[in-house]
Amino acid sequence: MIFSLISIELSKIFRKWRTYIGFLAIAVLVPIIQIAMLVEGEKSINFMTRNLQQSFIFVGNLLNGYLISYAILNALVVHIPFLITLVAGDLLAGEATAGTYRILVTRPVSRFKIVLSKFLAGLIYTNLLVLWLAIMSLAIGILVFGIGELIVIKNVNILILARNDVFWRFLLAYGFAALSMTVVLSLTFLFSSLVENAIGPIVSTMAIIIVFVIISALDIEFFQSIRPYLFTNYMQSWRSFFDDPIDFQDLYKSAAVLIGHVIFFFGTTVYIFSKKDILS
Amino acid sequence: MKNLNKILFLVFILVAVISPQTNDPDIILKKVLDEFNKVQDYEVNVNIKVDVNFLKVPDTEAKIYFKQPDKVHFESETFALLPREGFDFSPSALLKKKYTAFYVRQDTIENVKVSVLKVIPLGETDDVILSTLWIDQSKNVIRKIETTTKTNGTFGIELKYDHTNVNYPLPSKMIFSFNVDKMNIPMGFSGDISPESKEKKKDNKPTTAGKVYVSYSNYKINIGIPDKIFENKKKK
Repeated sequence: MIFSLISIELSKIFRKWRTYIGFLAIAVLVPIIQIAMLVEGEKSINFMTRNLQQSFIFVGNLLNGYLISYAILNALVVHIPFLITLVAGDLLAGEATAGTYRILVTRPVSRFKIVLSKFLAGLIYTNLLVLWLAIMSLAIGILVFGIGELIVIKNVNILILARNDVFWRFLLAYGFAALSMTVVLSLTFLFSSLVENAIGPIVSTMAIIIVFVIISALDIEFFQSIRPYLFTNYMQSWRSFFDDPIDFQDLYKSAAVLIGHVIFFFGTTVYIFSKKDILS
Repeated sequence: MKNLNKILFLVFILVAVISPQTNDPDIILKKVLDEFNKVQDYEVNVNIKVDVNFLKVPDTEAKIYFKQPDKVHFESETFALLPREGFDFSPSALLKKKYTAFYVRQDTIENVKVSVLKVIPLGETDDVILSTLWIDQSKNVIRKIETTTKTNGTFGIELKYDHTNVNYPLPSKMIFSFNVDKMNIPMGFSGDISPESKEKKKDNKPTTAGKVYVSYSNYKINIGIPDKIFENKKKK
């Protein structure tokens, strides 16, 4: 029963052109970044490591598919949430806009199953988008630029990971990125259950993410003290997979916080939807 | 008493004649060079370990080719960080230019008596200002070098020898010591906005000490390495 509901929801999602905006945006943006890295990447690496190059000669190629994928993941993981909200915002509110809410709830299916199937369909879309990002950046990056050691530059530290020690980190990082995007999905889904137009959930979710990210980035003591309470703080934890050694305790904590948010947002959505007075 | 003086004088003369130790820097350096010139070329496997506190790099396995007087070629299938100063060091490269040298003192390194020499290059364009060499006269090998350059400060090299495996004056291990400028990367480049990294910045000394450990194994000496190895594959 639930599978047929999910397939119905998926067909609804993939019949709308806005669903393909995300895939199209990634398909255009990633090659642009790859071309930019091909042209300017060497200069960027030299600039970032200029202090080090006064003491060391670099032998080998650091500009490879792994570095480019890492740069893309860094650049796009902030923007991917917008592509998620485009679809997630429409999951429930879209029914209200189209005037199909009443028909939907008069079917012999519980409201919980309706919400669950919509959420799972949104989850499949989210994971497909992250998978598409992985294919475009990692697979094409490796195909075009080859593999090599990955240089991870933080503000004060440099880590160079052996080429045979990188791929599994990417798989886990993309997995974690998918979890982070699920939080975005569930938040937008919650807002979508409150309104009758998809614009509201999209704008609200993005506003929250932007405000939280700015607060996290500001170097002010007061903001740093509230930082641990912002879910966006944990969405960047995929970066920890590129540390050595990896702080798994910290990652488990981040994953638990994110899963907790998903459960809370989804639970609240179920509660709101089950109590909702359908008027449209 | 007269006889005792004669005996002492004879002993002194005998010691001076028999002992290979000398205080003449030119003779000491010539002997080192002559010893090193027994090696026409070599190929050797190296393991490179970098020890800099803000830098984490996997150990590198590589191959080095050397041919007299100063041709060096480095080959590695993986990424490697090589010390900019001194990695291509050889006595012949050090002493091929005009220099003046003087003897400073006797010293001891790992229970081996060494002579300390100062070598000053005479060319105005040379980057090296001064080199101090610790030379083991019993084997005619350099055991330690400290060099001050115009552009990159001072660096040191310790050379360890395992003469049970190699009968040539080639090191089994070299330890490079130098100062490394700390990283200061704009936030936008690294994407790292976490406050933890800012805490680490509290240590605001501009440089930190760095070391590179290079272990040499499986020397193949005087095998007639062709010049094309050094011409075709230039060191990157």
